[in-house]
Amino acid sequence: MNALIVTAVLGVMMMFSSIVLKRNSAIRMLAIVGLLFTFIANVLDSSGVHFFSINIKGMMHFDQFAYFFISISIFCTFIFFLLSAKEMERIGVNYSEYFALIFFILCGIILVASFTSLLILFLGIEIISIPLYILTGSDKKNLKSNEASLKYFLLGAFSTGIMLMGIALFYGSTGSFSVENSVVIAATTSPMLLIGILLLLFSMSFKVSAAPFHFWAPDVYDGAPTVFTSFMATIVKAAAFIAFIRLFSLAFTPLQDRWQLIVAVIIALTLFVGNITAVFQQSVKRMLAYSSIAQSGFMLMALLAFNTFSVEGILLYIVAYSISTMGIFSVLVKMKDSSLEEFNGFAKHQPVLAVALTVFLLSLAGIPLTAGFLSKFYMLKAVMHSGNFLWLIIFAVLMAAVSVYYYFRIIQVMFFKESDSNTIIVSTSFKWLLSALAIIIIVLGVYPQLLLQFLV
Amino acid sequence: MGVTAILFWILSSLALLSAIMIVVSKNPVHSVLWLILVFFAISGHYLLLNAQFLAIVNIIVYAGAIMVLFLYVLMLIDLKKIVDPQRSLWIKLVGVATGCCLLLVLIAALSKADQTTALTQTIGGNIGLVENLGKILFSEYLVPFEISSILFLSAMVGAVVIGKK
Repeated sequence: MNALIVTAVLGVMMMFSSIVLKRNSAIRMLAIVGLLFTFIANVLDSSGVHFFSINIKGMMHFDQFAYFFISISIFCTFIFFLLSAKEMERIGVNYSEYFALIFFILCGIILVASFTSLLILFLGIEIISIPLYILTGSDKKNLKSNEASLKYFLLGAFSTGIMLMGIALFYGSTGSFSVENSVVIAATTSPMLLIGILLLLFSMSFKVSAAPFHFWAPDVYDGAPTVFTSFMATIVKAAAFIAFIRLFSLAFTPLQDRWQLIVAVIIALTLFVGNITAVFQQSVKRMLAYSSIAQSGFMLMALLAFNTFSVEGILLYIVAYSISTMGIFSVLVKMKDSSLEEFNGFAKHQPVLAVALTVFLLSLAGIPLTAGFLSKFYMLKAVMHSGNFLWLIIFAVLMAAVSVYYYFRIIQVMFFKESDSNTIIVSTSFKWLLSALAIIIIVLGVYPQLLLQFLV
Repeated sequence: MGVTAILFWILSSLALLSAIMIVVSKNPVHSVLWLILVFFAISGHYLLLNAQFLAIVNIIVYAGAIMVLFLYVLMLIDLKKIVDPQRSLWIKLVGVATGCCLLLVLIAALSKADQTTALTQTIGGNIGLVENLGKILFSEYLVPFEISSILFLSAMVGAVVIGKK
């Protein structure tokens, strides 16, 4: 609850900060300090120091997992600010408003990580979505950005409508908004409840861009300003996953055998569409969009098995995936355009960055000794332990092998192609930060308990 | 026959008449105006069923916001250019068939409704009163109510970001 109120207040503060603070660097500093304060508030909250005592009537429940995930997303946003907050200046004049919207999104993330009532879930998803529509279209002079924003808005509103219908059917058959097993058990025979669950499944699949509900994702990720793409493809997507898993693990386990096969098919489709389409992309940004679809196939596996492996796996996956993707995007945002040729001979000009990028790409591909490998391993192990869906595991491994091709293509271009004299200018601190992130990826790949020990 | 029953019949006939006029009238602007009349008649029905809040919201949202949207859309289209296209017999037949299907569903659903005798209910059933809604909103659902302010605030910030030059 601490972090929720702090982020909401910080959002309002950022909104007004441009009146007082004239320089962009001051606004950026305020945002970073505010985020640090939010992180401390959340850690204090999890160790029992509550700033506020509010009777939330059982509509939210902050367990250790929720606190931990909130900490992770605040930390990832912190990294995002350090890496790319400066690039936001180039998008438009509303610098402080962008920060305000990001803080509001964080507020929504906290809600979806801790809800126990469908009402809060709906509010959280909407608080995440509406600022994102704006951020997608924030590059107002760019036609592609406008198109992406409009597409995202229309499709997002449509899927929210489907979700509302699902919630209404859930309420109609159970008489309660509360997300509990007991509520569902009392109404298991009701066909209305089953339809409600299906509608919720579809709308949440849309939010995490799982196939066949993924069609918005490539266009939106491609059209949005690259800075915001890196935010929405990582932190926001992770939050949608947590909401999805929380909803289904808390409430719908009694009806598991009814929806698990559908989820398995969705996963297989997502892996197939994401990986195969990514192979044919010429633009790195679009390739990363499809790769994020493919990665969400792996993350969805946490829905098939609710055990300790899947809980640890999804958190590790979120950290590994978010850090790697944000790292690649932070370099991409500094380039002239996002075509593959831009990376020609990158290793000659920027050896440090090239090595860091290689680590990120290896992690995304799931090569051993990186966090990406372990997280994929955890997810497969979780599904293995649940006993079913052996075909899915084999298929997923095959698809992971396909993904190696398009990730390695960037590595190959960076190291073995000659460049035509285009370089990017980066500061020393940026190099240090990116190297530190690469080291985090490797350390987590060798010793994941460093992260997972906090999840007691 | 009491006052409420007379009111019920008046409102019902008004609603039906204006609904037919929506379809029949050639001018789309007239159709929209007839639609507003339908909404007011239905709001009157809500009042007869002791659902004040629903009645008010129906007028504010439908007769207010959505109708203005309809009129704006009509303003944007050049009405003179659109001539009534001659539809083929098949399309007309399909239209009649779908309409009959909807009618069948509605009759099937309504014939099993609980209260076919009581037309109005001005006493009892206090769920729809503004007072009860306010009470539950500010006690049971206070937290979601407050949180929705963040949603609206972010939407407003977004509107400014998009709308500002």
